[in-house]
Amino acid sequence: MKKGFLIVGVLVGGMACKKVVSVGLRDAPSQVVIEGVVTNGGTPQVKISRSVAFSAANSYPPVSGAVVTVTDSNNGLVAVLKESSAGMYGTRTYSGVPGHAYQLSVTVDGVVYTASSVMPRQVALDSITFAMNTDLNNHKDINAVVNFQDPPGVANYYQFTEEIGGRVLPDVFVFEDRLSDGRYIEQPLFNDSTYLQRGEELTLTMNCVDRNVYDYFFTLSGVTGNNGFQTATPANPASNISNGALGYFSAHTTQRVKVEIY
Amino acid sequence: MSLAILQTIGTRRLPSFFYKLIGGWLGLLFFLPAIAQGQGRYTISGTVRDRKTGEVLIGASVSLREIARSGVQSNVYGFYAISAPVGSYHLLVSFTGYPTDTISIDLRRNILQPVELDAAAGTLTGVVVSAQKRSETIARPLMGVQKLTTDEIRNIPVIFGEKDVLKTIQLLPGIQFAGDGNSSFYVRGGGADQNLILLDEATVYNPSHLLGFFSTFNSDAIKDVTVYKGAMPAEYGGRLSSAVDIRMNDGNSKDFHFGGGIGLISSRLNAEGPIVKDQGSFSVSGRRTYADLFLKLSGDSSTRQNSLYFYDLNIKGNYRPGAQDRIYLSGYFGRDNLAFGQTFGIDYGNATGTARWNHIFNSRLFSNASFIYSDYRYKIRINSNNNDINITSDIRDLNLKDDLQYYIDASNKIDFGLSVIHHTISPGVISASRQSSYNSMALQKKYSLENAVYVSHEWSLAESLHFNYGLRATSFSVVGPGVFYTYDSAGNTVDSAKYRAGRVVKTYVNAEPRISVSWQVGATSSIKAGYNRNTQVLHLLSNSTSANPTDLWIPSSNNVKPEVANQVSLGYFRNFNEDRYELSAEGYYKTMSHQIDYKNGAQLIANENVESQLVEGAGRAYGLELFLKKKEGRFTGWVSYTLSRTELKIDGVNRGQWYPARQDRTHDIGVVGIYQASRRWTLSGTWVYYTGNAVTFPSGKYQVAGQTAFLYTERNGYRMPAYHRMDVAATLQGKGGGARDQGGEGAGLARGDEKRGQKRRYESSWTFSVYNLYGRENAYSIVFQNDPDDPTKTQALRYALFRWIPSVTWNFKF
Repeated sequence: MKKGFLIVGVLVGGMACKKVVSVGLRDAPSQVVIEGVVTNGGTPQVKISRSVAFSAANSYPPVSGAVVTVTDSNNGLVAVLKESSAGMYGTRTYSGVPGHAYQLSVTVDGVVYTASSVMPRQVALDSITFAMNTDLNNHKDINAVVNFQDPPGVANYYQFTEEIGGRVLPDVFVFEDRLSDGRYIEQPLFNDSTYLQRGEELTLTMNCVDRNVYDYFFTLSGVTGNNGFQTATPANPASNISNGALGYFSAHTTQRVKVEIY
Repeated sequence: MSLAILQTIGTRRLPSFFYKLIGGWLGLLFFLPAIAQGQGRYTISGTVRDRKTGEVLIGASVSLREIARSGVQSNVYGFYAISAPVGSYHLLVSFTGYPTDTISIDLRRNILQPVELDAAAGTLTGVVVSAQKRSETIARPLMGVQKLTTDEIRNIPVIFGEKDVLKTIQLLPGIQFAGDGNSSFYVRGGGADQNLILLDEATVYNPSHLLGFFSTFNSDAIKDVTVYKGAMPAEYGGRLSSAVDIRMNDGNSKDFHFGGGIGLISSRLNAEGPIVKDQGSFSVSGRRTYADLFLKLSGDSSTRQNSLYFYDLNIKGNYRPGAQDRIYLSGYFGRDNLAFGQTFGIDYGNATGTARWNHIFNSRLFSNASFIYSDYRYKIRINSNNNDINITSDIRDLNLKDDLQYYIDASNKIDFGLSVIHHTISPGVISASRQSSYNSMALQKKYSLENAVYVSHEWSLAESLHFNYGLRATSFSVVGPGVFYTYDSAGNTVDSAKYRAGRVVKTYVNAEPRISVSWQVGATSSIKAGYNRNTQVLHLLSNSTSANPTDLWIPSSNNVKPEVANQVSLGYFRNFNEDRYELSAEGYYKTMSHQIDYKNGAQLIANENVESQLVEGAGRAYGLELFLKKKEGRFTGWVSYTLSRTELKIDGVNRGQWYPARQDRTHDIGVVGIYQASRRWTLSGTWVYYTGNAVTFPSGKYQVAGQTAFLYTERNGYRMPAYHRMDVAATLQGKGGGARDQGGEGAGLARGDEKRGQKRRYESSWTFSVYNLYGRENAYSIVFQNDPDDPTKTQALRYALFRWIPSVTWNFKF
């Protein structure tokens, strides 16, 4: 529904002029960015990097030598994650279990960052179909449509990612059932970054995430570098990680499906 | 609905002292006429009108030459009353653009003296008014008031050649543009929802058409616009920053006229005339845009299905059954329709209706009783993929009020009155088809009662010392039916309580003192000071750069408190060259409390618990407004400069520190010039400049979920680039008319036409204008993104709405 208002804005703003300008932006001190994931289909992974100045190149220094642990609060299992490559920490100890609560602890330069997340029950993705829609630039394009039954009586939060040719498309897709509880959902995923082409193979991942992670990604979509429309009062998404770290820790179920675009 | 109002009053839950106030007011009303009698003084009263059209003149100065300090102003219905002891007098009546009229009066009893001012009664009368011509801006204590004449509105160019009262007031000091494509305005640093906009006393909730490019006010139908931004009289209340009182034309009560205009984007038609000659009249004006006709010409088939139009209609009728009474009926109806093919559409608009009864009790007591209906609604249609959804929302007011003016004598006038408004807000009703991915739902309606009683005294203590002081007492009650929730600081619902229809959930009572004083120093200058307290019980939730037709009005409640503002102002006013030039310097300081903002990531859409998403805090605004105006001559115009600051301090935002509000504009300059080049040509131009809005820009970036994300530190720590723009317009008056209403030479020439025995009925004019003459690309927004050509870099992209916009309009009148 938010998209609708943007469309109207573009109707009139269609005569808008765009120009690249240079804006004197200040450089905030570099902050730690932690992305922690526990899934039921794989093993816990944590990626740690740092922020850079706006004018710098899009190359984000990985953080090595951090102490990373993931604890399953339900059975007390603790996994110590080892650095597999620069800034990437993983373990082969266990996969996540739906319904369990997980705690993340990351120590970088003596500062301890903690977070917790509860893995929701899995909701099955029924199918992926494709539909033609007219996007904001008046261009007809193909969008993937995810079809599934939302369980009634439970608050469910969903996140989707698309991959084409091994590359993850830089778009944020999240959906919650606040206004759709118990409905059969047929939700188109509107890409801002890439046009889908017929015949290509699309790998679509559906994650059932918890509320904090949904809120994080919902706000994140307003501050990313892809879509032309940002909110009037952007702010850093509320991270579920303590001590001012950027990023998120998510325990979620995951389902990955490959399908050919038609 | 009236049953609901009575039912609520009858529940005996309203605070008892409020009942005492109502009782006291009714008692006053009943006994005052009796008190007024018998002091050896008699009253001259009546209505001031234009001789040619019969329109009442608002704010005309009426005085008795023989009595110092005897001046009064005609009220919004043109009524005046002056009392004096038995004797012979000369009644002087003057109004901008008309020569002063002098009427001999022999006062032995109460006299009803209607006055008709003649714009064309030229300089031949030869009477020089010997009483000191004291400008009203100097003498009257009220400051922070701006009035616009219909000529100024007519001659000042605005976008697409459309005359627009709301755009024109933004050229005055202290009233700031919100930017291109945005019809909101900010007064003395206050938010966009802090301005009370009244059309013939009805509140207009969304005064914009076409996403802000036009306002809902068709200037063909408008007679008078007064903006109170500082010392607001006690009869106005309900918004913190300003009251914009817009009055419609009553309609020519002498002859029929019709006219209109055809422009590039829209056209207008109007008709007016007498119902019974000199006793009643009507006025109808309508307009429609056809911007979407250009869309239909597009080569692209999907663009052809888009629509973009608005229309509106103003209707007014009035009738005088007798000398003491007058009845008015006025209404406004407007709709906007925007659609993107079949997929998405929105239509929205205001509807207002006012029924009023003027009654003159015993020549000194004037009363206006009104019943007002005001409605704003929108409807969104979504038809895409499996979704077929309608969303509607509306806010509806029913208002009963009575405003009285009691003209005790030449130095004392009492205004008092009462107002009861019943608000019904339906935040959203969603109807979704079975296939849709969304549930149908209806957010519960919110009912409330906003009541006020006020009394104020206009008092001339001495020749050079005037006071205007008063008190407005307000009471706001949230009433059932409904379920009312309480939340914790994290936004979780902790409690809920159900109330039956008519039961009071919570009442807020506030006192709003209003005090102004003016001290005249010498013949042509004065110093004024004032203190104002205002409260606001309805709040507009808006989370975008420009006002959205779907922004939600919420009433105060058990969770949301009324906003309160205290303002002090001090000013110096001076007229030069026999009132040809007006200069003022006014400073103000305003504190605001219970200002609302949203939590980060707030869910505002279709949220029954939207109040849990809000945070509140304080605001402060201060500034200096300088204004120089040339009022007479071939060349008229003004320069206004405002230096100001407005800041907010809200829990949870910017770490609880003071930060500049979005509308903080350090410098704001407006220059207007209107030049009567010849009998037929009028040239006008405006130039505006203002410091850019305070905005939040990134101070870094990082990568998350494979995407570039921008890092934000403080709120509103950066500025948009400065905005400036020049507009010009030229109006060519057809041979039928002459230079009208400028007084002096123009009026004389029109009279010259009549003398030649050719009273031309048909008038026409062409207006040519260019909006944004030097085509500056003023930034509408700046966004940040990855460089599409170089993925290793990020860049800032500036959007500007338009460059040069020329337009042509042809106007006609029979």
